[in-house]
Amino acid sequence: MNFKEFQNQSRLYVIGALEAEEFAEFEKARKKFGKKAEDYIGECYGLHEAFALSLRPAKSSTAIKDRLMAMVRARKEA
Amino acid sequence: MRVSKSRTRPFSVSPQLEPGAPSDFELMKAIQAEDPDALSQLYDRYNGILKALILRVIHNEAEADDLLQEIFMEIWNQAKNFSSQKGKPLGWMVTLARRRAIDGLRKKQAYARAEERLQNETEQQPDAWVHNSTEEEIVLSDTRSLIRKVISGLPPAQQQAIDLAFFRGMSQREIAAKTNTPLGTVKTRLELGLKKIYDGLKELRGEL
Repeated sequence: MNFKEFQNQSRLYVIGALEAEEFAEFEKARKKFGKKAEDYIGECYGLHEAFALSLRPAKSSTAIKDRLMAMVRARKEA
Repeated sequence: MRVSKSRTRPFSVSPQLEPGAPSDFELMKAIQAEDPDALSQLYDRYNGILKALILRVIHNEAEADDLLQEIFMEIWNQAKNFSSQKGKPLGWMVTLARRRAIDGLRKKQAYARAEERLQNETEQQPDAWVHNSTEEEIVLSDTRSLIRKVISGLPPAQQQAIDLAFFRGMSQREIAAKTNTPLGTVKTRLELGLKKIYDGLKELRGEL
């Protein structure tokens, strides 16, 4: 696998769309390209952020936050 | 066409913050030091985005609220595992939220129910990527409208393949079965679509 093919596979990898039979080959190439591969995969995770930001924010009830913060404070004090 | 030359800066299109507001990194650092107020601020900043993501996966308001609470609890518990070297806080939170939402969907074996809801909501859902007829009615933030512009520039079949993979957690084979499309075609659609989005977002980064 050359680096361009690795880039294609990386974008599939970060969204969990690599098939099992592609995975072993991908991991092999990942090791082969080392830091360059890790940097590229890190960049690809930016797709997650972009997909989330493409959605219109949804409202959640204030009770959710109240419950969350009560749990967090209780855990901190425990 | 502007082409970004950066190869090392984390690829990101985060929303703008108010002047003087703590950065996401500063909030994460404070959460790592167990400061509940930092989590409260992070919640206020991103609960809407994360809930929208969860809803897009599970299509159930009450379950989405419960999951949102669990995810922020996990952010609190797992904050020590966050490393700024691996990316930005929002990316980390979105990855975590997506995984939890898809896990939740699978655990509850709710595919069939979600499928029904998805079909019922398709016509009225403003955030569907494909066949989005109400886009003009929504006032979008600059960041979101630019990202949507990149995504909506894809052919519908590519949008659908990415939508099913990212928001439904489907494998290429599952997408092929669902859309009655050859596996090779699904792979090509995903590869082409993701590359176009990736390249488009890299250009956008310079405009935001």
